[in-house]
Amino acid sequence: MTNIEDIISAIDTLKPIPPVATQIMVLAEDEDSSMSDISDLIAYDLSLTASLLKICNSAYFGLSRKVESVRDAITLLGLDQIVELILLNSTAENFKDEPDGYGLGEGELWHHAVLSAHVAKMLAENNGLADKKHFIFTAALLKDIGKLIMGRFVAFSYEKIHILVNSKGYSFNEAEKEVIGMNHEELGALVGEKWRFGKKLIYVIRNHHMSDEAARDDAGTALVYLADIICMMMGFGTGMDGLAYRFYSDVLDRMNLTEQDLQKVIYDTGERRQKIQNLLNLV
Amino acid sequence: MRMQNTPLSAEPVSVITVVNFSELKISTNPSETLVAFSIGSGIAVSMYCAITRVGGLLNFVLPDSSKIGSERVSRFPYMFADTGIPAFLEALNDIDLKIEKLKVVIAGGAHILDQTSDFNIGLQNYRAITSILSRENLIIHHEDIGGSSKRTLGLDIGNGCSIIQTAGQGEVKV
Repeated sequence: MTNIEDIISAIDTLKPIPPVATQIMVLAEDEDSSMSDISDLIAYDLSLTASLLKICNSAYFGLSRKVESVRDAITLLGLDQIVELILLNSTAENFKDEPDGYGLGEGELWHHAVLSAHVAKMLAENNGLADKKHFIFTAALLKDIGKLIMGRFVAFSYEKIHILVNSKGYSFNEAEKEVIGMNHEELGALVGEKWRFGKKLIYVIRNHHMSDEAARDDAGTALVYLADIICMMMGFGTGMDGLAYRFYSDVLDRMNLTEQDLQKVIYDTGERRQKIQNLLNLV
Repeated sequence: MRMQNTPLSAEPVSVITVVNFSELKISTNPSETLVAFSIGSGIAVSMYCAITRVGGLLNFVLPDSSKIGSERVSRFPYMFADTGIPAFLEALNDIDLKIEKLKVVIAGGAHILDQTSDFNIGLQNYRAITSILSRENLIIHHEDIGGSSKRTLGLDIGNGCSIIQTAGQGEVKV
């Protein structure tokens, strides 16, 4: 068992996500907020504005004219795209560092985070939760933030975790909890609390592997869970933990998703993968 | 005059070529190793002819294109077992080698823990590939299938050796 205080104190080694990113997400989902509210909020953050304009003027978007203001960017690319770019830009720095312990290559956790965020958004749009798509995108993007710290502790205790997973029927997160005293979901939730994320976001991060049965009734958590396992099945950003997490078919049943639907989502993700990969290279 | 450090005969530079998700690559270059990284529920299949020293690697993720119900599936033949494996064999056939002499190695087909058989795409991928290969009278020389680990499959075109790496469990050469 590791000293939990030591794990928690390691949260300070991460670079906090700028509060403006979470404020933008809240505004984007508020029906009463206007485009100008959001563009004003972005414009207050000079560094964020500069990054956003640089990305919008890249060859990826191929715009016919130069984007010179945040309002311009929203008009030309749409609010959804701008909100996503801001969230990606705000989280990239932490995720691009390779977390030791999970056996991931450079940028693989970041790749997994972005891809699962897109899958979660796609599922939200197709399953009656389009109004929550920015929240679900963000939750999927940040769900594994605990891995950034947990990695070094997993590396130190890997042999014990490996035995529990391969010989005793534990899932990887159950083995983390047993050996280290905490799993990456719980640690991610503590990061969220320290960085003052909203309660709903913290809830999804804490339950994204559905350790708590009650979470299976929460539609947002269910979509993030499903997006995560789809990316694992596709081998995107999986490390030593591989696919060693629990599958709950009742989560799919509650969403009326069949095995054929699951295959369609995998296909759709495969179809979009290159486009998402190109986007990754921008931020 | 020869420079002191220049070798008498230059060794061919070995090349690693990545075979991404939903790709097929065929090679005749003896210095090349084809590699499919990070295989989950999908299956990577290597086929190699020792006589002609030609081989290829397919990295598919789904068993059956007809289940998707989209006209666009034809743009991604290597994403599926039912379209990818016949296309793989056809490409090898075009090189004029004996299909029945091929050394076939497969790896992947992993599943999430407790994934029931209906939702176990890894198992369905395995059933699809074994059925198609059996129809073609091809024998699987070696397989590393199932479980919940991610895998990597490589094929060295120079010697026909397939390398399977399983996360946390080391490497097997066949």
